[in-house]
Amino acid sequence: MIAAQIPGPSWLHSLPTRFKLLVLLVSGAVLFPVDDILILATCVGLVIGLYASLGSKGLVQLRLLRPFGFMMVFILGLHAISGTVETGVSVVLRLTAMVLMANLVSVTTRMDDMLDAVYPIFLPLKWIGGSPRKPALAVTLVIRFAPVLLNVYGCLQDAFRARTGRHSSWRLIAPLALQALKMSENVAEALTARGGSKGLSNND
Amino acid sequence: MSDRSLVQVAFYAALIAALGLLPPIAIPFLGGVPITAQSLGVMLAGIMLGPVRGALAVLLFLFLVALGAPLLAGGRGGLAVFASPSVGFLIGWPVGAFVAGLIMQKTRQLNVLIAAVIAAVVGGIGVIYGFGIPGLVAMTDLTFDKAAMGTAVYLPGDFVKVIIAAVVAQTVARGLPQALLSRA
Amino acid sequence: MAFWSKKHASRPEHRFDLSAATYASLENVSLKLGDRTVLDDVSVELQERRVGLIGLNGSGKSSLVRLLNGLRFPDSGTVRIFGAATTEVAPDLPRHVGFVFQNPDHQAIFPTVEEEIAFGLTQIGFDKKDARKGARAFLKLHDCDRLAELPFASLSEGQKQLICILAILVMEPQILVLDEPLTSLDGLASRLILKKLKSVEQRLVMISHDLSTLADFDRVLWLEDGKIRMDSVPGDVLPAYAADLDRRAAKAETGAHAL
Repeated sequence: MIAAQIPGPSWLHSLPTRFKLLVLLVSGAVLFPVDDILILATCVGLVIGLYASLGSKGLVQLRLLRPFGFMMVFILGLHAISGTVETGVSVVLRLTAMVLMANLVSVTTRMDDMLDAVYPIFLPLKWIGGSPRKPALAVTLVIRFAPVLLNVYGCLQDAFRARTGRHSSWRLIAPLALQALKMSENVAEALTARGGSKGLSNND
Repeated sequence: MSDRSLVQVAFYAALIAALGLLPPIAIPFLGGVPITAQSLGVMLAGIMLGPVRGALAVLLFLFLVALGAPLLAGGRGGLAVFASPSVGFLIGWPVGAFVAGLIMQKTRQLNVLIAAVIAAVVGGIGVIYGFGIPGLVAMTDLTFDKAAMGTAVYLPGDFVKVIIAAVVAQTVARGLPQALLSRA
Repeated sequence: MAFWSKKHASRPEHRFDLSAATYASLENVSLKLGDRTVLDDVSVELQERRVGLIGLNGSGKSSLVRLLNGLRFPDSGTVRIFGAATTEVAPDLPRHVGFVFQNPDHQAIFPTVEEEIAFGLTQIGFDKKDARKGARAFLKLHDCDRLAELPFASLSEGQKQLICILAILVMEPQILVLDEPLTSLDGLASRLILKKLKSVEQRLVMISHDLSTLADFDRVLWLEDGKIRMDSVPGDVLPAYAADLDRRAAKAETGAHAL
C-alpha cells in the first residue's frame, strides 16, 4: 500500500509498463469470482514468491503492508460475527493477493513511465477541443505544489503558535485554503505568460 | 479548460494531498479517535470550486495516487489502494465533491454556513458512504448491515469534518468572497 | 477562455517586425481593474536596450508590463510589440516577450530544475526527449548543470530566480520583462542576478524598488497614479524620485491614511 519504490533494476522493472498493467487487470478479473481457499492461498504464495524474486529489498516491502493487515483482521472479525468465517478467509486471501499484485506493479514502475503508459486514455480530449497534455501538466503541478502548501501550513502554524502558544488548530485550514487559491492565481498567470497549457506550437 | 481553471484544480488536488499528510488530529470529545483531514479536503474541493472543478480536483488527486504517489492519509498510494476493500469510498469521492459543489451552486440564496453543511452532509457523507458501503460488500462478501456497521466508527469524525468544512467555507467567503468559486 | 475555442486560424508570426527599432509601444492606453483606473491615457515608445520602471505600489507599473506580454489587454488604445497589436498576436506574444515574476515560487511549475527548463522547449514545439536534452545543454551552458536533477524547492532563493530566468531565456525571447525580480533576494544574490541580467542579449524592461539597480540602465520611467510622471535617463529620474519619496515621508503621519 505504500508506494515507496523498490530501487531497480530488476526483471520486473524492465518489463513494459503496459504489459504489467494488463497482467494486473487480467489477474484481478480472474481472481475476483474465485472462492476456493486452496487456490487463493496458492496465489498469495505465488505473489510472495514474486516479491522474493527481487531479493531482500522486495521482501522488505511486505512489511509495509501492516495497515492493510489490520483491515483484514477487522473484516475477518465481522465475518466471524456473522458466522461466515470460511467466506471471510477466502475474502482475506483474495484481497491480499490482489493488493500485493497491485502494489508490486506500483513499486516497480516509475511514476513518469506510468504516466506515459496511460497517456493514450487522454487522447479523446482532442475530440472535445482539449489538449491531452493537460492531465500530465496538472499532475506535475500537484507534485510541485503539495510540498509548498505543507510549507505554507507550517508558516501558519508558527504564526499561530507565536500568538497563542498552542501548537495547531483546524482553524488554520481556512487560511491555508485561501492562500492556495491566491497562489494558484499567480501560478496561472505565470503559466499563461509562458504560452499557457496548450503550448505555443499548436501542434498537439 | 482555461489555464486558470487547470491550475485551480491542481492546487485543490495538492491541498487534498497536503491535508492527508498533516498529522491526524485527535478530537477530544470523540474519545480521542484520530481523524485525518483528507476527506475534509474532498468536501472542501466541491464546496469551494463547484461541481466540475471540484470533481476534477478529486479525480486528479486519485490519478496521482494510482500513478504511485503515496498521498493518501498515512502515506498510502499506488494501485494497491484500488484493490483494497475501501475502494468504493475512493470512487465515491469525486461524485461526492460533484454533488457538494452542485448543492452550493443551487443554493445561492442560502447563507454560506447552512448551504455548506447541507452540501458536506449530502455530498461528503451521503454520497461517499453510498458508494463506500456497497463497495465494501462487493469486495468482502459481507452483508450490507455488517459492512455498514464496520464503517460506522468513522461517522462521528466525518460529522466533525462537515462542521469544519462549513466554517472554513464561511471564513473564506467573508475574507475573500470571490474565492468561493462554486458561487462565483 | 472556453475549452471549445477554435485554434488560431492563421499564424500571425509575419506581423512582427523583429528588426524594428521600437520594440514596444503604447498608444493612448487606458486600463481599468474593476472601477479603479490603473493606467490613464499612457503613450510611450521603447527603443532602449534596458528600460527601468519605478513608482509606488498601485502606480500602474505591474499592469503596464503585463500589457507587453498579453497578460492584460488595454480597455482603450493600442499596445504594439514589434509593430503588431497585442490583441491580434496574443497567442504568440510569450515567444517574443518573456516574463519573470517577483516570486520564483509562483513561477516554477515543475518539481525538478531540468523539467522546468525543458517545459519552455516543449512550449515552442520540441518533443519531450529533445526538450530534456536541450534543457541539459542549456543548463551546462549557463554553468547550472549540477542543479539539473534537484527539486526546485531545495534551491536557494538566488538559484530559484536564476532558474526562473533561464526557463524564460531558453525560449529565446527578444524582450525580457521583469516584475521586481530582485525583491526576494539577499544583497549578494540580488547583485549576481542583476549581473546575469545585464549579460544577456535580450532587451530588458524591469520594475525595481531598489533604485541603485537601475543606475546604469538606458532609460527610466517613473509612474504615478497611472500616468508617466517622468521619463528620462536614470541620472535625472532616480534622484528626483528619491527626493519625492523623502519629501512625502517627512510630511505624512505614519497612520493608515498615508500608507
